[in-house]
Amino acid sequence: MNDFGIIFEAEFARRIKSRAWLLGTVLGAAMIVLLSAAPAFFNHVVANSTHGIVLAGDPALVAAAKKLIAKDFDVKAIEPAPLKPPTLADLNAHADAAAIVVLAGTHQGLSARVYAKDAGGFRTTRLRDDLIPLNIAVAEHTSSAAITPLMDFTLDVESLDAKFHDEASANSARGFAYVLVLLLYLAIILNCQGVMTSVAEEKTSRIAELLVATTSSAQLMAGKIVAAGATGTIQLLAWLGVGWATAAGIVNSIGGPSGGMHSSETATPVIGAIDLPTGVIVAFVVFFILGFLQYATLYAAAASLISRTEDLGSVAGPLTLPVLGGFLLANWALGVPNATGVLIASQIPLLTPFVMFTRMAVVTVPLWQVALAIAINVLATIAIVWFAGKVYRVGLLMYGRPPKLAQILSVLRTS
Amino acid sequence: MLQLTDVHRSFGTVAAVRGLTFSIASGATFGLLGPNGAGKTTTMRMILNILVPDRGTITWNGAPIDGAVRRRFGYLPEERGIYGRLKVTEQLAYFGKLHGLREPVLSGRIAEWMDRLEIAAYADRPCAELSKGNQQKVQVACAALHEPEFLILDEPFSGLDPVNAEVLLQALRHLQSRGATLVLSSHQMYQIEHLCTDFCIISGGLVRANGSLAQLRRDWPTRTVLVEPASVALRGVLDRLSGAHARPQQNGTLAYDVPQTLDVPALARDLVAAGDLTRLERLEPSLSDIYLRAIGETP
Repeated sequence: MNDFGIIFEAEFARRIKSRAWLLGTVLGAAMIVLLSAAPAFFNHVVANSTHGIVLAGDPALVAAAKKLIAKDFDVKAIEPAPLKPPTLADLNAHADAAAIVVLAGTHQGLSARVYAKDAGGFRTTRLRDDLIPLNIAVAEHTSSAAITPLMDFTLDVESLDAKFHDEASANSARGFAYVLVLLLYLAIILNCQGVMTSVAEEKTSRIAELLVATTSSAQLMAGKIVAAGATGTIQLLAWLGVGWATAAGIVNSIGGPSGGMHSSETATPVIGAIDLPTGVIVAFVVFFILGFLQYATLYAAAASLISRTEDLGSVAGPLTLPVLGGFLLANWALGVPNATGVLIASQIPLLTPFVMFTRMAVVTVPLWQVALAIAINVLATIAIVWFAGKVYRVGLLMYGRPPKLAQILSVLRTS
Repeated sequence: MLQLTDVHRSFGTVAAVRGLTFSIASGATFGLLGPNGAGKTTTMRMILNILVPDRGTITWNGAPIDGAVRRRFGYLPEERGIYGRLKVTEQLAYFGKLHGLREPVLSGRIAEWMDRLEIAAYADRPCAELSKGNQQKVQVACAALHEPEFLILDEPFSGLDPVNAEVLLQALRHLQSRGATLVLSSHQMYQIEHLCTDFCIISGGLVRANGSLAQLRRDWPTRTVLVEPASVALRGVLDRLSGAHARPQQNGTLAYDVPQTLDVPALARDLVAAGDLTRLERLEPSLSDIYLRAIGETP
């Protein structure tokens, strides 16, 4: 066994037996369950960003509907009934509207068909609630008993995004994506902090000098990071089980624009409806590896600069910001996966693992964007590992107050 | 043989080592001495390839020190490090493996070194629960477990009580007997003087003195003579000596620094003729004297 294997084995054994790892695994699972309520926040974002629609069909119905939905939707245009199903291009032609709603009247009530850009993100329940008075008005009814079913009518929603064939599968994917992003965030931050703690322990206990006199700093860092990656993977598998089980609650909670649990949408079979292609699972693995490598090496480098445990917060603090930022942007991306800000963020190293993965889970991302993001991030990872490796090698032998960036760069130039 | 040739190393604008050249013979026990900030630790780190010299070369038996060579080296840094949560045997096994030891040799060596350093009773205790002295012995065992051919010990006696210092001394004697080359850095001159065969005194990143104790003494320009009783007549003889300088009188003994070439029998004759001489002793300079003079703090 070479030094890497010896370090990996020792580090893995230390980590897997540590209270921090065990506690993190249990608390992470508990958080996944607790945070299932969080999408209410995300729904608010969705509700505010998908309100532009196009109304089409019977002019009288359209005119009546426009008044009813005015408080919740911005009617971008009014069109005659289309001869064939609309396309994404039709929506884009109307100031990037979120959906085309085709209305028709029958003796049983209103027939409303929604062609949404993103069926999962469209405020279907709100639209349906707004149209209930029109449904009652259109239907032929003679008794109050006949009105009751008219108050619970169903909108036919069709997704124009080829990724998901209907609203149910889009919602399922969104819920599952939320769970996966949460797992990604927890796995990266907890395991990277594990790497940081391990490096800090060796630095502050002065054992680092003994180690680098025995083996190379590169093998030392690699052994630590891969061991943390292995324990992180085990942790992820444990969380995935919990996440899968709680997906039902999450999908239901974000099933409609109000996050409500009413209407026909709640009848969606949740677990069975999860329809994530293999590509998304592969993306999860790829982005976990990229994100973990980027952050773990940076955390290791940061920890190598401290001499006292008390200084850990000051060097780790700035690194927490991109992780948290990536996670929050991913939540934003769940609602508006093609917003300009999200598109840009999905190409920025350190943010990509969260944001691009989220986009891939909820919409069809053009292949070139995925390829570009992976290419940028692979190059960035190489650069980060190179830079962090140099800082780590030099930092392990530096004692005193944590150095400023200019001092680090100066030492790196001369090392 | 370890050879350093014109080795330089700076950190930013600070020149820590400025052209060191010296060699350490295989099997020697070498004292690397110098005041704080002299460049000792930087030199040790460069020997171990932890730091790379800006200029100059360091070779072991004529070849650069690479990973394979370094695996056969051992190091006890001045700042002690230990995994507090690991048991003593786990700690030793980890470092033993990193130095290339494998079972069953590894277990045998662990047991042997725990016995040698008298820490076997703590084998299954977490290192953090050990006293400072015993922790230090665990660290010595980590550095010496693989019985390195070249071992650097930075302040190995620091923090050890006399009993444990003797235990460590015996362990180092064991390594000496096996032909290991030892490099010791310490401010405890007495132990270093009696353990080391060769010395290098550095200060300000430069070699100030280098060689065996006999060589260093040969180059020392003066000797000290002690004369009793401290009478006026005897003092008069000493004061008339060319190149003699009086040192502070101690407990009724006259002490004078005199030239190394002084004819001591002639002095004895003069002193006997001058009065009731009861003691005349010529002292060789101690390592401490040589050290202080070499670094510019003349005793």
